[in-house]
Amino acid sequence: MLLPGGLWLLVFFVVPMVSMLSVSMQEGSLERGYELTWRLQTYLDVLGKFDTQFVRSILYGLIVTVALLVICYPLAYTIAFRGGRWKNALLFLLIMPFFVSFIIRTLEWKFILADDGFLFGTMKNLGLIGEDFRVLATPAAVIGGLVYNFLPFMALPLYVALEKMDRSLLDAAGDLYSSRASAFFRVTLPLSLPGVFAGSLLTFIPAVGDFINADILGGINTTMIGNVIQQEFLVNNDYPEAAAISFLLLAGILIGVATYARLLGTEELTG
Amino acid sequence: MTSPSTDVVAPEGTAGVRRRNRRGWVLPVYTGVVIFYLFLPIGVMILFGFNDITGRFNFTWQGFTLEHYRTLGDFPDLVTAIKNSLIIAAGATVVSTVLGTMMALALTRYRFRGRGGANLFIFLPLGTPEVVLGASLLSLFITMGLDRGLVTILIAHIMFNISFVVVTVKARTQGFNREWEEAAKDLGASPWTAFRTVTLPLIFPGVLAAAVLAFALSVDDFVITLFNAGGTLTFPLWVYGASRFGVPPQVNVMGTLIFVIGITLALGSVWLQRRRGEEIVAGYLR
Amino acid sequence: MTERDRRIDELFGGLHGKVSRRELLQRAGRGSMFLGVSALLAACGIGGQQADESPDPDDSPSPLPEIAGELIFANWPLYIDRAQGESPTLVSFTEDTGIEIDYQVVINDNEEFFGTIREPLSRGQSSGYDTLVVTDWMVAKMIRLGFLQPLHHDRLPNFEANAFERFKDPSYDPGNVYSIPWAAGITGIGYDVERTGRELTSMEDLWDPAFAGHVGMFTEMRDSFGFALLANGVNPAEATMEDVEAAQQKLLQQREDAIVRGYFGNDYTDQLATGSLWVSMAWSGDVFALQQDNPNLRFVVPDEGAMRWTDNMVIPVGAEHPADAHEFMNFVYDPRIAANITEWVWYESPVSQVPEIIREDAAAASGGEAELLEQVAESPLVFPSEEIEDRLYNYKTLDEEEEQAWNDLFQAVVQG
Repeated sequence: MLLPGGLWLLVFFVVPMVSMLSVSMQEGSLERGYELTWRLQTYLDVLGKFDTQFVRSILYGLIVTVALLVICYPLAYTIAFRGGRWKNALLFLLIMPFFVSFIIRTLEWKFILADDGFLFGTMKNLGLIGEDFRVLATPAAVIGGLVYNFLPFMALPLYVALEKMDRSLLDAAGDLYSSRASAFFRVTLPLSLPGVFAGSLLTFIPAVGDFINADILGGINTTMIGNVIQQEFLVNNDYPEAAAISFLLLAGILIGVATYARLLGTEELTG
Repeated sequence: MTSPSTDVVAPEGTAGVRRRNRRGWVLPVYTGVVIFYLFLPIGVMILFGFNDITGRFNFTWQGFTLEHYRTLGDFPDLVTAIKNSLIIAAGATVVSTVLGTMMALALTRYRFRGRGGANLFIFLPLGTPEVVLGASLLSLFITMGLDRGLVTILIAHIMFNISFVVVTVKARTQGFNREWEEAAKDLGASPWTAFRTVTLPLIFPGVLAAAVLAFALSVDDFVITLFNAGGTLTFPLWVYGASRFGVPPQVNVMGTLIFVIGITLALGSVWLQRRRGEEIVAGYLR
Repeated sequence: MTERDRRIDELFGGLHGKVSRRELLQRAGRGSMFLGVSALLAACGIGGQQADESPDPDDSPSPLPEIAGELIFANWPLYIDRAQGESPTLVSFTEDTGIEIDYQVVINDNEEFFGTIREPLSRGQSSGYDTLVVTDWMVAKMIRLGFLQPLHHDRLPNFEANAFERFKDPSYDPGNVYSIPWAAGITGIGYDVERTGRELTSMEDLWDPAFAGHVGMFTEMRDSFGFALLANGVNPAEATMEDVEAAQQKLLQQREDAIVRGYFGNDYTDQLATGSLWVSMAWSGDVFALQQDNPNLRFVVPDEGAMRWTDNMVIPVGAEHPADAHEFMNFVYDPRIAANITEWVWYESPVSQVPEIIREDAAAASGGEAELLEQVAESPLVFPSEEIEDRLYNYKTLDEEEEQAWNDLFQAVVQG
C-alpha cells in the first residue's frame, strides 16, 4: 500500500537530502571543487551571519499562521455549516483565484499596493492618507502577500475537518442545553483540531521558507531566510553555507512543529 | 450531502434554531468580504488584460482593447510554457493523488511498526523549504546525469504533491468510521469492492480536495521548477522572466484565460458532484 | 586513527560488557548504516568548476565541424527585434542560411543563469546551448573557468569590418578570443523629474535624504559597488580592497538612513514608472523605453561617472553546433541587421554603420515611426557622445578570491 509512494519519496526526497547534508559539511569553492571535510563550523557561521533573517522568517511565519487561523476559521465554518447546497460552490469560489499563478497574484498586489497606484494614489489625492504613506517595501506588504497567498492552505484543511464532523454531536450538545457558544468551544473546536493542525503546518512551513513575496513586495528590512538561501545557492554559489542554512531551517521547523503537536495533544491523531 | 440528523425534529427547549436567524447575517457577509478580497487582484488582472497600451509597459489605464487576446498566439514561448504547465500538472495530480491517497489510508487504518516514522517521513517534504527541495533535487539529477526538462519537473512535482495529498486526505480519513467498511465486508463484499463502493465515495471529498490542491500547486509551482527546469519554461517561469520589465498584458490575458477555464471546470465538477452526492445518499437511505 | 574509525569504535564500544546478540546485531546494523551513509555523503561531493582540460596555451580554436542546420541561442528578454510574435532577424537568418534557430529567452540574471549551466560545463559537457549572451564580467569569469570556446575569427569577417574600434580588444577578453559584443549599455541614474522636483546631476543624489524611501539600488554587485566607489571618487576598474570596504560603508549608510527603498534587478523599471521609486540606478535602454510612456523620466550619467557594460555572444564548451553559431554571430554584424535590432532594442550597437542607417531610416519613415527612429538616432542613451564616454567606467575583472570577498561584503548590505 505504502510502497509506491514511499519509494518515490525515498528516491526523490531522501537521496537529495543526503546529498545536501553532505554538501553542508563540505569545504571549498566553486572553482577548486568541494571536499567532504565534515566541517560543522559552517553551521555556526551561518547562525551568526543570518540570525536576523532566521528570526524574522519565523516571526513572519507565526504572524501569518495566526492571522490565517483567525481569518479562515469563520470562513471554513460558514461554508461547512451554513453552506448547505452552496458548499461546493463556495469552496470552488474560494479556490478559484488560486488557479491563477502565484507569481501573477503577487505581481498584481504589487500593482495594487503601488505608492501612487490607483488605490493609494487616489486616496492620497483625496487627502485620505498622507503623502508619505506606503505599504510596498515594508514588512506589512510581505506579510499581506503571504496571508493572501496561503489562504487556501489554511481554509481547505479546516473546511475538510469541519465538514466531516458528525453534526449529531452538536445536536446532542443542544439537547443537553448547551449554549451555542459552549457547543462550539466544547464540541466543534476540539473536533476540528486535526484541521487546525494540518492548516497551520501547511501555512507556517512554506511561509517561513518563502522568498517570492519578500522578493516582489519587500524592501530593505524584509529579507527572509528563503531569500538568503536562494542568494547563496544561485548568486553566491556558496553551496556549503546554503546547505547549512537549509538544514538549520529544517531543524528549526521540525522542532517547532513537534512542540506544537505536543501542545495540541494531537500526537496520537497523526500517529 | 446532508447529515441524517436534520430530519429529526428538534425537541422543545432548544434555543438554537430560533437564535440562529437573528445574527445569521454576520458570517455570510464575512464570507463575502473574504471572497471579495481574494478576487481583488484577479479583477485587476482581468481588467488590465484589456488595456490599450501604446508603449511596452502596462501600468496606467489607456483604453479598452481586445488586441492582446487576438495576438496571443504570437508569443510561442508563452504558448509552449502553458502547454508544459498543464501537462505537468495533469500528470503530477493523477500520480500523486493516487499514491498519496493510498498512503493516507494505510497510515490511518493499519497500526504497524514504524508508523510514527512513516508519518514523520511523509511530513518531511512539507517541512522543507521549496528552495531546499529544488536545489537538492537538482544536484541529484546532475549526479544521475539526467537532463533537466519536462520529466524532471514532473518528478519533482509528484514528489512534493504526495505529501500534500496525504495530509489533506488524512484529515478526512482520520475519524473515518471503519464500521461501514466492515459492514460491507460482512455482507460478503471483497475488500476491493468494499473499498470502491463504501470507502472511496465517503472519502471522496477529501480526495477531490487533495487532487484540486495538487493541481493548483503544480500549475503554480515556481521555486522547485526554477531549479529543475533546465531550458523548459512553465507558465510561472515565463511570467517571472517577463515581469522583470513590468507585467506585460499577455500575462494578464493568460491569467484571465486560466481563470475562466478554472471556473468552467469548477462549475462542471460541482454539478457532477451534486448529482453523485444525491445518488449516493439516496442509495443509502433507501 | 581517523575520525571515522573513532566513531565506529564508539558504536561497538559496549562490546566489553555483556551484550546480547540482538544488541550486537542492532549496533552492527547501525554502524554499517552509518558507514553506508558516510560513503554516500562523501560520494555526493560537488566537482570543481575548472574544466578538466585547461584551455590551449595559445588559445587556438579547435577545428569547426560542418554546419548542422541548427542553433540553440540563449538570450535576455527584449533583446532582439520582434514583430507579430516573431523576430524578423531570426526569420531572415533562417531564410538566408537554412539554419533553424531555437531562440530561448532564458537569461534574466548573469549569476542565476550561470548557476543553471555550471555543472555540465565544469565537466566539459554541453550546457544545452550553442551561444549565450552574457555581460562582460561574466565573460571574464567563464574564461577563467575554462568554460568558453575560442572563436574562429576567419568566420567572423563582419565583426572585423564593421565593429567600432572601442569594442575590439576589451580588457575582459583581450583580442576578442572568446567573445564579440551583442549590445552595450550604461548603468546610470534614472529619475522622475516631476517627483524629484529638480534635475539630478550627481551620484550623491542617490543618497539624498529628500528622496528617502524612494531610491533604488541594484542587486547587481558590480553596479552598486561601482556607484558607491564613484561616489567616493574611486575608479571602479582599479578599486582596492580598502576602496571596496569604504564603498560598502557608504551603501550601509544609505540603508541605515532608510534612504534606499530596496535592491532591484530588472524590476526597478516597473517601480520607477509607477512612482514607487523616484530615483534609481537604471539601465539606459530601459529608461529610453519608459520615456515613451512617461515623458517625465530622465536618464543621467552623473558627474562622478557611471558604469558601462557590454553584453557579449560567447560559445560555451561542449556546444553542439559551433559552426552554426559562428554563422549567426557574423550575420548580426551585418549593418542592416544590426540596425534592425537596435531600432527595437534601444541599446547601443557595436556596429559602426548603425547610427547612420537609423538616421536614414528615420528620414525615410513617416509619422510616429519617424519620430521614434529620430529619437533613437539622436539619443545619447543609444549612442553616447564622446563627452559621456569619458565619464563611463568599466567593471574590474576579479579573480576568485576578490570576487568572493566583494560578494561577502555586498551580501551584508543587500541581505539585512
